[in-house]
Amino acid sequence: MVAPSQFKQLEKVGNGTYATVYKGLNKTTGVYVALKEVKLDSEEGTPSTAIREISLMKELKHDNIVRLFDVIHTENKLTLVFEFMDNDLKKFMDNRNKGNSHKGLEMDLVKYFQWQLLQGVAFCHENRILHRDLKPQNLLINNRGQLKLGDFGLARAFGIPVNTFSSEVVTLWYRAPDVLMGSRNYCTSIDIWSCGCILAEMIMGKPLFPGSNDEEQLKLIFDTMGTPVEQTWPQVTQLAKYNPLLPPHMPRDLKQLLQNNTEEVLDNNLVDLLHGLLQLNPDARLSARDALNHPWFAEYNHAN
Amino acid sequence: MPTGNDISEATPAEGSKDAATKRISDDDLYRHSSQYTLWSFTKEQLLEKRRTLNARVVDKVNERLQNTISSHTDLSQDELDAIKETAVPVSVDEELKFVNFFARKVQSFCQSLNLPTEVGATAISFFRRYFLMNSTMEVHPKHILLTSIFLACKSENYFIGIEAFAKKTKSQPAAILKYEFSVLESLRFTLLNHHPYRPLHGFFLDIQHILHGKVDLNYMGQIYSNCKKRITETILTDVVYHYTPPQITLACLLIEDEALTLKYLELKFGNVGVPSEPESAEAIIEEAKSEEAKSEEPKSKESKSEGSKSEGSKSEGSKSEGVKSEESKSEETKSEETLSSSKSGSTINLDLLTALVVECKDMILNVEALSKEEATKIDARLHYCQNPMLLVDRLRRQKQQRDSSAEVAAEPDSKKLKV
Repeated sequence: MVAPSQFKQLEKVGNGTYATVYKGLNKTTGVYVALKEVKLDSEEGTPSTAIREISLMKELKHDNIVRLFDVIHTENKLTLVFEFMDNDLKKFMDNRNKGNSHKGLEMDLVKYFQWQLLQGVAFCHENRILHRDLKPQNLLINNRGQLKLGDFGLARAFGIPVNTFSSEVVTLWYRAPDVLMGSRNYCTSIDIWSCGCILAEMIMGKPLFPGSNDEEQLKLIFDTMGTPVEQTWPQVTQLAKYNPLLPPHMPRDLKQLLQNNTEEVLDNNLVDLLHGLLQLNPDARLSARDALNHPWFAEYNHAN
Repeated sequence: MPTGNDISEATPAEGSKDAATKRISDDDLYRHSSQYTLWSFTKEQLLEKRRTLNARVVDKVNERLQNTISSHTDLSQDELDAIKETAVPVSVDEELKFVNFFARKVQSFCQSLNLPTEVGATAISFFRRYFLMNSTMEVHPKHILLTSIFLACKSENYFIGIEAFAKKTKSQPAAILKYEFSVLESLRFTLLNHHPYRPLHGFFLDIQHILHGKVDLNYMGQIYSNCKKRITETILTDVVYHYTPPQITLACLLIEDEALTLKYLELKFGNVGVPSEPESAEAIIEEAKSEEAKSEEPKSKESKSEGSKSEGSKSEGSKSEGVKSEESKSEETKSEETLSSSKSGSTINLDLLTALVVECKDMILNVEALSKEEATKIDARLHYCQNPMLLVDRLRRQKQQRDSSAEVAAEPDSKKLKV
């Protein structure tokens, strides 16, 4: 157990789902940390979100998942001591956009980030943990170009059978169509959809499907990816919020759409991977491991 | 596991030699779990842990008793005798039985609250782990009972508000919350548990697959529900510290139907030739704890034929996932001693596996429970060894009311046990 006085609290760096995050300095080691302060609710004790995050983070030790070093208890708050990360992907991308012009990341960087993102996600899934809130704000990066998944406040472990999860998960723009249509027995595919959205966003420098409500979100998705029908997505019509009056759309050319938004030359492998991640039908979506084995990552896969 | 037939891929970001060529096996995953790294022990380690804890607290208690006696010069000989007789620290064995006695109460509370089986199992596990770190002479189990359940509900995502929880358990919110952090801290913030229920589901399906046409489905259903109950019983014992969840499951299956289970194991793992150098079952457990035991992932035929996507939300997908993972997990037992053997086929040594499971079974069947009278006596000793003057006060009160047929100590505490 570490004494609270061991850490010097520095500037505020952000707000998590249920806590405030400060930069901190470990006075004994000189190492920077992120201090996530959780107000203790005198009513309910330690918030269950904090309990769940602690529970999962204690099991997840991986290079692409932010490390939880310690938990400190003081009179009215709980402080989770995390590995410090310089930035998050959202801020990192925002800093490169000037005014209204959007600029995506260089393709090498996109690939390296996406590779690390999928490594982290694959590790979670292998440990039977769903992140459920993947978005650029929750992807932390440091000055060495490492990317790590953070904020497991909404994450949860899954067993068999996987069902009756809440459908109020994942920030709207990164929420999968099956979840938007009310599916409650989603599994790892929920995170994969988010990975697809993030990949496209890194290329374009702006979100792929920036909807402002559930309905618009689905519309944006179907406009681009095509409107699902029973043939392409069996049982889609059985979903609680399936709308039979949806105007039929043919899928748009994803490559063209992305190419219009980037100066980088897109290769077909990338587009193929993106299609695999952004399958409307959750059962047809790639797994994180499949994605890592995709030819687009050939240079990483053949490195050793 | 969510992924399937991909066996080779490089992972520069992971920086692990193993991971560069193979995906992480379920064995590796379990070996990295806190349940394994922090909460698995050899029998010797566990005993040592309990002895150390007990000895430390007994010293403190004796010192306090001595101080009380020397600071109260007015104590009569009778009173001194009573202190010596009743305010006696409890032994390692007594502590263990007393904790298990209360663990059963945790269980019945969970049942009366209608909590899902896994939540109840986690509550029991929290409770028992707490008393690996704390002595009953420091904190009475009755104080931790409800806190363990409340915390298990939170960590298993089965949240019940404190008001409702206190109401249902006829307790006070403050009393439950008071120990919450202490429990979290004692658990070293490791809250994720792997119980044998999931392996049971996997074996249940796999037995039907392996013994297709030879087992009756209704009969298997019966075995399944009996085993489930038995697993809940094992959570109350030390087997959880010595064996992996799939091993415990196999031991329970063995108790239910020895012939069936042995047949299954033989068909499943018996076709492997070349048993490697003989090792005792203990060696496996000990070796399982060693760091450098890096095994090749045993690839069973099932995991290879598994489709590339098993994370589908359909129940079928989830089921096959269960089967596969449990198979691989059960292989963990054996993976170490077959390091040198060929990579093809299953690398399980049937004899070793059977020996280990039988040993686990014997341990399950040999659990001694504490009778209520014994528990009451221990309860009184815990009470008075912490507060010897309360015993003296009691004696003096009793002396004053001479009419009552002098009965010493103990029985007011029996009320406390009727939680």
